[in-house]
Amino acid sequence: MSQAHAVIPVRADRTRSAPLSRRAGCLRQPFGAARIGSRLLRIPLFIAGFLVALLALADGARAADQLIIGSQLEPTGLDPTITASSATAQVLFPAVYEGLVRLEADGVVKPLLATSWDVSPDGKTYTFHLRQGVRFHDGAPFNAEAVRFSLERIIAADSINPQKTELTALDHVETPDAETAILRLNRPYSRLLQVLGWGPMVMMSPASAAGNALAPVGTGPFRFFDWKRGDSIVLVRNPTYWGRPARLERAVYKFIADPNAALAALKAGDVNAFDAYPAPENIAALQADPRFKVDTGLSQAKTIMALNNARPPFDNLQVRQALSYAVDRRAVIDGAMFGYGEPIGSHFPPQEPGYVDLTGRYPHDPAKARALLASAGYPHGFTVSLKLPPLPYARRSGEIVAAQLAEVGVHVDLINLEWMSWLEQVYIHHDFDMSIVAHIEPMDYNIYGRDNYYFGYNSPDLQSLLHRLDAATEADDRRSLLKDIQIKIAEDAVNVFLFDLPVFVVRDARVSALSHLTPVQLVDLAGTSIEAGDGTADGATGNAAWRGVLACISVLAIALLSGALWRAGPTYLLGRLGLLAVVLVAASLLIFVVLQIAPGDPARYMLGMDAMPDSVAALRHRMGLEGGAVPRYLRWLGGLLRGDFGVSYTYGVPVADLIGERLRVSLPLAIYALLLSSGLAFLIGLYSALRRGSWIDGTLSAVSQLGLAIPEFWLGLVLVLVFAQHLHWTSAGGFPGWQGGFLPAVRGLTLPAIALALPQAAILGRVLRGELIDALGEDYVRAARAKGMSERRALFRHALPNVLVPVFTLLGMQAAFLLAGSIIVENVFSLPGLGRLVFQAVTQRDLIVVQAVVLVLVAAVVSVTALADLACATLDPRWRGRRER
Amino acid sequence: MKAPVRIILGSAVIGTVIAAALLSLFWTPYDPTAMNIAERLQPPSSVHLFGSDPYGRDIFSMILAGARGALGVALAAALIGIGLGVPLGLWAAAGRSWVDEILMRACDVVFSFPAVVVAVLIAASFGPGARNAVIAIGIFNIPVFARLTRNAARGQWNRDYVWFARSAGRSALGISLTHILPNILGLLGTQATIQLSIAVLADAGLSYVGLGTQPPMPSWGRMLEESQTMIGFAPWLSLFPGLAVVLTVLGLSLLGDGLGALRRLHRSPGE
Repeated sequence: MSQAHAVIPVRADRTRSAPLSRRAGCLRQPFGAARIGSRLLRIPLFIAGFLVALLALADGARAADQLIIGSQLEPTGLDPTITASSATAQVLFPAVYEGLVRLEADGVVKPLLATSWDVSPDGKTYTFHLRQGVRFHDGAPFNAEAVRFSLERIIAADSINPQKTELTALDHVETPDAETAILRLNRPYSRLLQVLGWGPMVMMSPASAAGNALAPVGTGPFRFFDWKRGDSIVLVRNPTYWGRPARLERAVYKFIADPNAALAALKAGDVNAFDAYPAPENIAALQADPRFKVDTGLSQAKTIMALNNARPPFDNLQVRQALSYAVDRRAVIDGAMFGYGEPIGSHFPPQEPGYVDLTGRYPHDPAKARALLASAGYPHGFTVSLKLPPLPYARRSGEIVAAQLAEVGVHVDLINLEWMSWLEQVYIHHDFDMSIVAHIEPMDYNIYGRDNYYFGYNSPDLQSLLHRLDAATEADDRRSLLKDIQIKIAEDAVNVFLFDLPVFVVRDARVSALSHLTPVQLVDLAGTSIEAGDGTADGATGNAAWRGVLACISVLAIALLSGALWRAGPTYLLGRLGLLAVVLVAASLLIFVVLQIAPGDPARYMLGMDAMPDSVAALRHRMGLEGGAVPRYLRWLGGLLRGDFGVSYTYGVPVADLIGERLRVSLPLAIYALLLSSGLAFLIGLYSALRRGSWIDGTLSAVSQLGLAIPEFWLGLVLVLVFAQHLHWTSAGGFPGWQGGFLPAVRGLTLPAIALALPQAAILGRVLRGELIDALGEDYVRAARAKGMSERRALFRHALPNVLVPVFTLLGMQAAFLLAGSIIVENVFSLPGLGRLVFQAVTQRDLIVVQAVVLVLVAAVVSVTALADLACATLDPRWRGRRER
Repeated sequence: MKAPVRIILGSAVIGTVIAAALLSLFWTPYDPTAMNIAERLQPPSSVHLFGSDPYGRDIFSMILAGARGALGVALAAALIGIGLGVPLGLWAAAGRSWVDEILMRACDVVFSFPAVVVAVLIAASFGPGARNAVIAIGIFNIPVFARLTRNAARGQWNRDYVWFARSAGRSALGISLTHILPNILGLLGTQATIQLSIAVLADAGLSYVGLGTQPPMPSWGRMLEESQTMIGFAPWLSLFPGLAVVLTVLGLSLLGDGLGALRRLHRSPGE
């Protein structure tokens, strides 16, 4: 994708600039051409030397009590009570936030912030006795008032808690004294204790709750320290923790979305552990590697092929059962999960207490499936669609299931959807036949009793079982009712139950186990330790470097503006700038309109599958998503004119800050790549033009051709493999940030800059060679040669100065592309750049961010074009005349 | 390399790819979509020439069938670019300066849209499929051809024969179609080959972010993307689709280069 983007501007500009260069062709030495020419040859040498010096630099100091944990998903906010993002809870719970109780791996509820509790015989009153002397990180006391605040906030009318539906039984909380909280229910709800152990039910302080999405304050063993969006979250030990203090001084979560980058980061030692490692195909190799230990386990995620029970042919029990017989679970697990994962026969994870093994209910039996289909009236099968969310397990399972169903005559159209479209079509509008997804919420068998749930199952029998379970307080009754529920769901073959998703935690062999509490899928870092961990030391400020970059750009722009003013006059200059403004306003309208066509709702994305409609409406209100498109556009435009880009829907911080953070990576990267590519391109172009037709010219041309033909991510992969994994010269990815100093930051950008620069250099080199050869063929150069001028002198003195204008125009276009077009390179190297920001924003429908980034890019391209025009006006005296034609 | 050599070499490679695409319509060693979990992840052998994938599908058959998708997407995207970009470019060249300015600035704006954003929007709005890959790539071809046509056509408008045609009272539209267009066809053809090669790469890039050709139809880009994490233990999974992409792009780009060089040799003085 981005490769295309990379190449297009250049091709276009090559043709655009061709007449231009010839027009400038009569210019005699606009500036010291000969000197520039020989200097240009030296630039690549400088760059090469610089690179070698950088790569030879050693890492900073190593801290012993810091753990760096890789993780695929980055939280969108840091408050687990207002977002369904599993990443939020994964990072912050129970490290930063704690609940009243703690759910152990075997499903048992243990005391945490509550030391004990009593349940009334009617199951409608829960009295919690709270731990004393507990304080929040900001010093506020934890007491009954905090419990009342935290729980009543969840059930409030304007609550946007993703699990609000689990607390509908709660009526109110009473606080007879500071150490006692009494929960009054409006009906018996025996799940309550387990539910209180979940991430969205954590305890917060009334004083700080409002700011928790950005600066979380809890009672846990770690305090929140810093969040570099798109890159990492840092937690530090809480010295005043009520329990045993954490052994680690710091825990750093590093977000690496790309599975390959995750592997590279582990192998290069950039991370000490990887939580929920995403690629089962690499587990065997990691297990065999003595440097690593792999903990595998089962999760709460029940992977099912959901059938739309409300729609023919799946309203027919025999059809649903036929599909259950037709699917070979073992083959799906082998093919999609490389053998990891456990088959399931109902909506229940095998490791939970109360599990009943129903995998034998529908053994793989294609003949029986065909017979059932025939008796249901489909002797020749039928055609259905299978809509898949963008998750590797779903996509892979989908391909296999489709092939298996084809064997019994069911033709499956695979439809791969991005996440937002999946939520809209399948989950909200129930517009689907079949879908594959893993339900990660613990103990969510109650979704089978919900009205109007997406798979459209409606059974009064099951609903009565669920009601009886809610009212049952005796453990034996609960167990037997749970069993009946599992059997009923399996007998009705509501969905095709595939497998329980495995979880992998890969860790450096020196890291002690990250204890994993399976019911809520979390990492408990409190007891984790590490022998001599790696980590780079924090250094002095690197802001000076960053300001230097900005200053250079400003100086260049001002120089061009004054140059144009001097040459072409104020009328011309003002005309160009006015045009620029008009284009930008028109572009803002176009961007806004185009983005309105995207279906999907950021509020729904934030709150996830189990959110109640009024929670979504409340969040939409907070995000300012109400009202028509026209007022929203005018509000946005008005904000832009005041320099206000708005507030990100998902991150909740000003968009300008987000873009600013990303530009600190993207802009230096673009400049770095540009320096490399132009250095290389001038070498190739000048040499090939000088020795055109020689074997070196031929070789260079062949290499350039090849450089253009290699997909970008291949190049990135190879670079990581060689320089990070084998030679250990650089880290495999990530960005250390400017605060660590100039050199480490530049070092971190070196491999991605090379990956970006090589294809660009190939393009630029070829264009330069063509332009130079054309220029050398011009009459005046031939005349000069006829008078005895040497080839080299003709090249540097005549040809080179005349191609500089088109070449710099092209360079400008490349710079604009490099700013954000490099999403693939950013992914391969997990850099928190502009490209990844915009990709993430568009998948989450954080359209206000997308609008702003696209506008910034448009502004960059249009300004570069305008500046190039100004450069031409400055350099070519006849330009003005042409303009006024 | 001399122009004719490049053209011959490029044509040979592209001819092979086209032949593979055509062949796959009638015959492949195995059904490219047929899975056989028992024979998964076989290295290249006489049974599976290029090995088999994690589902036990035959890579060689998938490469043959994937040629269809790669060529189809590239061709369709180029047609979109030519169909809309060339008329716009002719108009910009023939029209008044403000028309030119508006069209060229519009090109800048379209151009600076991040391609991935456009692809996600298209997939979200029009549903998934190879179609959205074609549209996404095609959209970026429009400004390329528009600019190219505009620049080349402007050169033609300054030529004497156009002045004669104008003084003979021919309309701008007529001149554009009968005089300008035939004179820039060679240039457009060269650019088209280049855009084709870019589209093959772009299709692979789209698959990288999960937006390209949909399964079970084999796609080189998707094969590359899905095999990334398996390079360590099954290198053949990414080697062969990678080679297919590289060779096709190389072939197209050699062909384009050769044609360009040939045109440069034969062009009339002053063009």
